[in-house]
Amino acid sequence: MTSLPPPGDGDLPPPLDTQIDPPADPTIDTRNERLDDGVNRCPQCGATEIQLRPSAGMLVCLFCRHEWSEARLDETIANGDLTELRGRTIGSGATDIDTGADTLITMKCAGCGAEVVVNTEEQMGARCHWCRHVLTINEQVPNGAVPDAVLPFKITHDDAVARIDAFAGKRRLFADRGFLREFEPDNIVGVYMPYMVVDSNASADIIGRGEIQTRRYTRGSGDDKETFYDADVYEVQRHVDFTVDDLTIESSAERANMDSSTNTNNIINTILPFDTENAVKWNASYLTGFTSEKRDQDVAHLVPVVENQLLSIARSEVQSSVDHYDRGVRWEREKVDIHGTRWVAMYLPVWLYSYYHESGGKGLVHYIAVNGRTGEVMGSVPVSHPRLLAAAAAVGGVIEAIVIAILVAAG
Amino acid sequence: MIAILLNELASALSPMALAAADGDGGPTWMLILGPAGAGATYFLSWRYYRNTHQSHAFERETRIEAQPVTGNDAKVKEIKGTKKTGIDGDNRTNHRQRVQRLG
Repeated sequence: MTSLPPPGDGDLPPPLDTQIDPPADPTIDTRNERLDDGVNRCPQCGATEIQLRPSAGMLVCLFCRHEWSEARLDETIANGDLTELRGRTIGSGATDIDTGADTLITMKCAGCGAEVVVNTEEQMGARCHWCRHVLTINEQVPNGAVPDAVLPFKITHDDAVARIDAFAGKRRLFADRGFLREFEPDNIVGVYMPYMVVDSNASADIIGRGEIQTRRYTRGSGDDKETFYDADVYEVQRHVDFTVDDLTIESSAERANMDSSTNTNNIINTILPFDTENAVKWNASYLTGFTSEKRDQDVAHLVPVVENQLLSIARSEVQSSVDHYDRGVRWEREKVDIHGTRWVAMYLPVWLYSYYHESGGKGLVHYIAVNGRTGEVMGSVPVSHPRLLAAAAAVGGVIEAIVIAILVAAG
Repeated sequence: MIAILLNELASALSPMALAAADGDGGPTWMLILGPAGAGATYFLSWRYYRNTHQSHAFERETRIEAQPVTGNDAKVKEIKGTKKTGIDGDNRTNHRQRVQRLG
């Protein structure tokens, strides 16, 4: 037996702070370099008065009426076969938020050279107070305000108002009277909500028990008759390889909180999905006339959410393979191996009507939301409990009367 | 809406009421149908307004391409003479219920 020499200084691993950092995740450059000077000019006349025309989904020059669109993001980055996706790739607009990054951005006007300050907490553009040029934040500042892509509004304000009106109109009978009095669907706001859109290549394994009935029989007679079952029990294992294209995840911590006892964020979640494949490269002019909410979650925060959703997808995919277990299946263990993911930060369009309602000393903001692309509507309407209780009592009374009538008729 | 609810409840409850009246379990339990109907009306209406149960069905509404599912099925035991109509904890369709994570 040989004894190892005591370690000297030369045998120790280098201090942590001198070790080489692990390689960073590769990023896809999604910057819109054409707009790096902060001035979005009309390609036809050079004017900077530009905004979105939702009915066409195009940018329109308010000076010469020329219409155009930024290139679709899918056309500018290599998508490839998702089964070949390996590792983690992140869009340059989805990189980690620098908490020290200033929300006040100073821009140099390309028209006159003046310096214009834009507060990215509130807006993504400003007008030069000297030469009237419109300057927009097109540079990907690391504060979460500028994503990789934006999906422009397609549903117009009037269309969204009509949809919200129709949704609430079907829910008038038991709606809170204050809500009905103050209902003003014209007050809806167009909001670009922050999301991470994730492509994944994954495998999942799921293990559990399943039962197949082999016999069904009765014992006893009359009132003591009972039904019994015999069954075979199986250990069930399933494996599935799958890819998911454009899984859409909330990247604002506040919106991702779906606790329905304290908020109605599930309403905004329900109007997903969007046609994210039509998202275009970032151009702040798409936000003119709308509001936006900043992303505050990094990829690392959202990995558990993606894993959770991939497991749910896997469970859904294997369901048909266990249909023959007629007494059911109890899944007990599960595992997901993620071979590759691609993350893109995106602003998605939502028309939002909100109403603050207090009940029993507890306040809640009720949303009615319209998908700004598909027009899908979902909402939460506060109820009038006295009206609902009266209706429930009336229904209960009618049923009770029917039951009594049947009993009397039967004997 | 009340008419629709009444109709649905009546069609669901009347066979039970008739069976009970035939002497299967005695008439007294039938009297609970009124309060049960009232509770169901309240709950279903409240849910129709508040939609707290709604969420994005990403399992169905996302573009998913899956390879054929593979796996094993091994018989481990037999159950004789149970009164249970199904397996305990059946979560075959509850895709979002998380179970023990492996790996």
